[in-house]
Amino acid sequence: MKDLLEEKIKQLKPEDLKKALQVFREKLNQEYAAYFNSCIHCGLCADSCHYYLTHKDVQSLPAYKLNLANGIFKKYFSFVGKNIPGWIGAKEFNQAMVREWVDSLFGRCTLCGRCSLNCSLGINIHLLIRTARSALASIRIVPLGLQSTVDTALEKGNNMGIAKEDWIETVEWLEEELQEEVSDKQAVLPMDKKGARLFYTVNPREPMFFPLSILAVGKIFYAVGESWTFSGDNYDVTNYGYYSGDDEAAATMSDRLVQSMKKLDCKTLVLAECGHGLNANRWEAPEWLSKKYDFEVKSILEIVADYIRQGRIKLDPSLNPNPVTLHDPCNLVRLGGIVEEQRYILKHAVAHFIEMYPNRQKNFCCGGGGGQLAMTRFSQRRLKAGQIKADQIRKTGAKIVATPCHNCIDQLMELNKHYKLGVEVKTICEFAADALIIDKS
Amino acid sequence: MLSLLRFGVISSFLFAIISLSILALKTFSFGKKTLYAKPRGDAKKGVLYAFGRGMLPWEKESSSKHLITYFAGMLYHAGIFAALFYLISLIFPLELSKLFISFLRFLFFLGFLGGFTLLFKRIFLPTMRKISCPDDFAANTLVDLFLIFAFVHTYLVRATPLFFLVAIVMFLYIPVGKIRHCVFFFYARILFGLFYGRRGVLPPKTHKI
Repeated sequence: MKDLLEEKIKQLKPEDLKKALQVFREKLNQEYAAYFNSCIHCGLCADSCHYYLTHKDVQSLPAYKLNLANGIFKKYFSFVGKNIPGWIGAKEFNQAMVREWVDSLFGRCTLCGRCSLNCSLGINIHLLIRTARSALASIRIVPLGLQSTVDTALEKGNNMGIAKEDWIETVEWLEEELQEEVSDKQAVLPMDKKGARLFYTVNPREPMFFPLSILAVGKIFYAVGESWTFSGDNYDVTNYGYYSGDDEAAATMSDRLVQSMKKLDCKTLVLAECGHGLNANRWEAPEWLSKKYDFEVKSILEIVADYIRQGRIKLDPSLNPNPVTLHDPCNLVRLGGIVEEQRYILKHAVAHFIEMYPNRQKNFCCGGGGGQLAMTRFSQRRLKAGQIKADQIRKTGAKIVATPCHNCIDQLMELNKHYKLGVEVKTICEFAADALIIDKS
Repeated sequence: MLSLLRFGVISSFLFAIISLSILALKTFSFGKKTLYAKPRGDAKKGVLYAFGRGMLPWEKESSSKHLITYFAGMLYHAGIFAALFYLISLIFPLELSKLFISFLRFLFFLGFLGGFTLLFKRIFLPTMRKISCPDDFAANTLVDLFLIFAFVHTYLVRATPLFFLVAIVMFLYIPVGKIRHCVFFFYARILFGLFYGRRGVLPPKTHKI
């Protein structure tokens, strides 16, 4: 079978390479330049990377991956690199290098940031790798599955290409389910309700494959009597432009949510359980759009944790009797700062909660981030890289894995099958909804 | 001869400082990223963590799993700072007590041991070789020599010209290769602390929510 990406690389002209270099330069700032000047090649980042630990090849070593980008930085943007390139490891940016960038920077990295946290110097390696991805994205050298996910989102408004009428029909069907579950014909899943306090976004995989996640959140909002709404047009919390490195596409996607906030006149943008969606929309989008938001951006986990803390919902943990462990999504926890909320909810919603180790900021990536799930050409590597997570889960002895991220859920479900873990995978809100005691008064 | 070498040390040191300043200015010329997202945590606390607790061996797997390398690195740098201080004491003659010189000598020895361990690791571990370039070996060797001559000098005053000469070469080399991290380390740690502190990721804590 013809490798279309390889064909594209072969067809690259000098002006394409020049353009990629130009974009690479444009994306650099003093922070990134300082990082590039800091690496001492100590190699201590090796053990922090799930790819290196499972593959044991030098191409998976974070310092090696960083060197690929740093070699170009040195060659084109440093005095010594321009004059004695071989001495300091400066490299030419050519087709071979593009090929290596694709293989290592797209194919052996989930942008999880674990190496960054473990770097002796404090270099944010994942940011530099994403910058290199941006350079490739500018010349459309992005693994096809990932690029088509971005294209679909740009074209159709969501990454699954769900038509508006299908989305609305799904919500209507879920509304009926909710009414049945809470035995209340007045229970609603509001759509395009102007002036609501919260605008709730979803991962398009939820209406498509995991409608129970939507129902769970709807049930919690119902129990609280929350003022909230969905949007009929722009509801996609995901942002694959973040993964492909295409800042323009990423900005367009995030701006749609901002426009919906304005249109619906809501107070808080609530992000569904999605790791990279949180990182992209909470932390990166204001930078892509170069503006401060005049509304709050929160994870649904913060909202639900607040409800529990304020006594607005009552949970009965005995309704979730099986042992549950928690997988921390990298973008939500290590890069997003949402660390304790999911624990707080689970401790109130399940009878037997078991931490896996390491956890929180030090957690291991499941292997599904960085756009890996969309890049089928690297799926064998992805599954192998997930072995650490599979082992962690097995060690807990838990029957259910909770994780606030649909990307992680997809990967964990594949790991479950591949490594025969025999577990169930659920979102945090699903546990909360299952433990919910609804006060009819 | 000695005063010429002394002048050489001062000049090469100034050269290093000026070159590093130019490098830093060049780095700043890449432009500052304006941050628009509302912070969740305290950036200053992140920076304090980066230079404090975050440097402890158990805080990072990269150190806790590689304690020998961690301590080798710590001793190496302690030795380097001690040797620089010793060099200053020779350039601007300062009276140092014998006991203090013995202490410095011990640090030079430990520093050399640390530096040599790291060099040995880089030479003999295939993975390390694959991520290394000539500069990695040169920089380490040069600094090791600096430590050796500092050590020798504490016994043999006649070694002063050689010690000064090595110092001159080392200072001249600093801006060329990885030793430039003597400046960028601090900047990178600040940036690291700001990034994770601002996002509420570091310092790690159990939130009362």
